[in-house]
Amino acid sequence: MAEEFVVVKDLHKSFKDFKAVNGVSFTIGKGEIFGLLGPNGAGKTTTIRMMSTVLEPDSGDIIIGGHSIKKEAEAVRSIIGVCPQDLALYEDLSAVDNMIFFGRMAGLTSEEARKQARTNLELMGLEDRAKGKVSKFSGGMKRRINLAIALMGEPELLFLDEPTVGIDPQSRNHIFENIQHLKQKGLTVLYTTHYMEEADRLCSHIAIMDGGQIIAMDTPYNLKSQIGSPDKVTLEDVFLKLTGRSLRD
Amino acid sequence: MKRALFITLNEVKLYLQDKGDLAFGLLLPILTFALMYGAFGGQTLFKATASIVNEDNGAYSQQLIKQIDSVDGVSIDLMNAKEANTKLDRSDLLMVLFIPSGFSDTLANGGQAELVFKQRGNGGTEGQILASIMRGAAENINQEFQARHLAAGNLEGTGISNDSIALVVQDYLTQERQQPTVSVAEVTTGGSPDFANQYLPGIVTMYVLFALSLSATTIVEERRRGTLERLLTTRLSIGELFIGKFLSNVARGFVQTLILLVLAYAVFQMFTPVSFLAAMVITLLFTAAAGGIGLIIAAISRTESAASWIGVVVTMFMTMMGGTFFTIAKGSVLDTMSKISLNTYANRAYRTIISSGGSLGEAWRPLLVMLVVAVVGLIISRMIFKPVPGSK
Repeated sequence: MAEEFVVVKDLHKSFKDFKAVNGVSFTIGKGEIFGLLGPNGAGKTTTIRMMSTVLEPDSGDIIIGGHSIKKEAEAVRSIIGVCPQDLALYEDLSAVDNMIFFGRMAGLTSEEARKQARTNLELMGLEDRAKGKVSKFSGGMKRRINLAIALMGEPELLFLDEPTVGIDPQSRNHIFENIQHLKQKGLTVLYTTHYMEEADRLCSHIAIMDGGQIIAMDTPYNLKSQIGSPDKVTLEDVFLKLTGRSLRD
Repeated sequence: MKRALFITLNEVKLYLQDKGDLAFGLLLPILTFALMYGAFGGQTLFKATASIVNEDNGAYSQQLIKQIDSVDGVSIDLMNAKEANTKLDRSDLLMVLFIPSGFSDTLANGGQAELVFKQRGNGGTEGQILASIMRGAAENINQEFQARHLAAGNLEGTGISNDSIALVVQDYLTQERQQPTVSVAEVTTGGSPDFANQYLPGIVTMYVLFALSLSATTIVEERRRGTLERLLTTRLSIGELFIGKFLSNVARGFVQTLILLVLAYAVFQMFTPVSFLAAMVITLLFTAAAGGIGLIIAAISRTESAASWIGVVVTMFMTMMGGTFFTIAKGSVLDTMSKISLNTYANRAYRTIISSGGSLGEAWRPLLVMLVVAVVGLIISRMIFKPVPGSK
C-alpha cells in the first residue's frame, strides 16, 4: 500500500442518544481512490463531515496529510476539496463566478482563481457555458460544476459524495472519466456511491459501513472472493449479503 | 478578514442578480416615501373645511365668507340649515357656522349682529381651530365697523360724506393689516415640529428592522442551497462567515434606508447637511444592531420559515414596544418593557436629530446601546451557531 495519507482512528459521533458513527477506523494511501459504501443512514455522511472538519468527533481523531482535524483544522481545510451529494451552488451566479468565489474561499488569488476556473471548466467540458447562469443548466451540467468547484485550490484529498447521482449516462461517463484522470494525476479520493459497478471499477479499497460501523474492508476483488468466484460475483451481491435486504428509509 | 469581504461581495452580487428582490428592495423605500408624501406633503400643515349655513346672503355675510376662504388651508362648504342639522345629528360634522338672516342689515343699520357656532361636544380639534379662524375673520369685520362708526361720529357736521369716511377708514385698515403695529415673526429652531418630522423617525426605525429579517434568513438560505457546508470546508472561518453576512446585511439595510432619508431630505427639507450626516450615522448603527440580532436568530433557526417568523415577531415586538407610533407614558409598565426594544433607542436618537435639531453628541447614550447590541449580537451568534443542527 502507498504512503498513508489519511488515517481515521476510532471515530465516534452521537446525536443525542443516536450513535451515528461508532468506532470507525481506516486508512487511505496517497493517490488511492477509497470507496466508502453503505445503505442510507449507515454513517457515511457523518464520517465525511468529520473528515472535512464540518463536525467535530466526540472521540477519536483523523489525520489528513499529517494534520489532525482536531488541532489543525485550517491546515486540513487547505488540502481538501469537497463535492457534496446535494448540489452546493449559487444558482443565480454564472458557472465561472461560482468557481472564482469558491477559489477565493480556498485561498487563491484573483488571478489564480480565474486560471483554475478556466482549467476546471475545460476539464468538465463546460468552457462554452462559463458565463451562463447555473440556474439555466441541466442536471448533468450542474453535477459537473459541483465537481469542478471541489477541484478549486488544487486539493490533495477529494471527497466525492455520490457525484454521479441522478444524471444521464453521458454526464455520468464524463464525470467517471474525470475521476480516473484525477487518479492518474495522483489525487487521493474518498468516494461514496450507491452504484456498485462504479466503486468496483474505480476504487482500490472499499469499506462497507452499516449502523455506524465498518462491517467489511478490503479490495473489491477480496470482498467478492469472500462469497464466491470474483469473476461471477458482483460487489452488489457482497453489499446485499453484508447489509441485508431490508429497506433502510 | 479578506474572505469575510468576499462573502459580503458575493451576497451583494447575488442581491443584484435577483431582479425581483432588487426591485422590491429599492422600490419599497420610494413607495414608502410616496405614501408619506401623500399623507404629510404640501405646503400647508393645517387643512380643513369650514361648514357654513348662510341664511343671510347679504353683503357682509359674503364678505365674512370671503375672508374665511382666504385663509391658507381652509376651504368652504356652504349648505342649508336642514342639511347641516342632519349632518350634526349623525356626527358627520362636528361644527357648523350659522350666519342668521338679517346679519348684514343689522350691521348696516349700526346694530349688533350675532354669529352662531353649532357643534357636537367641543366641536373636535379641527372644529376648535376653525372656530378660532372664523372668530378672527368676524373680529376683522367688527374692527372695520367700529373704526368707521367712530370716524363718522368724530367728523359729524364737517360736511364729509359717509362714503368718503368709509373709503379712508378702509385704506387705513388695509395699511394696518399689511404693516401691523404689532407683528409676529416666526423663528424656526431645529427641525420644524410638523407631522412628517414627528413620524419620520418611526417610519425609518420600522424600515431599518427589515435588516433584521434579512439577517435572520441569511444562514438558513445558505444551508438550504447546500453552500453552507461547502463554505465550512474551505479556509473560511465561521467568524469570517458571520462578519461577511453581517456586513452585507448592514449594507443592504443601510442603502434602503438611505433612499428614504435622501427623499425626505430632498422633498421635505427636513435636514441640514450636518443633521443628514448624523441621521446616516444613526441609521448605520441601528442597521448594525438590527443585523446583530438578526444573526442570533439566523444561528438558532433550522428552517427558512422559522427564521422569517421569529424575525417578524421580534420586529413587531420592537416596533410596538419602541414607541414608534404612539407615546409611551413614563414610569408605565410599557415604559419598562420598551427598554428592551432597539427601536426605543433608535427613535430617541432620530428624534434628537430630526425633531429637536440636536447633535450626535446629545444622542450618545442610544448610539452606544446600539453599538453594543451590534457587537454582542455578532459574538453571541457566532458562539451559538452549529454547522449541523443538533450536533455539539
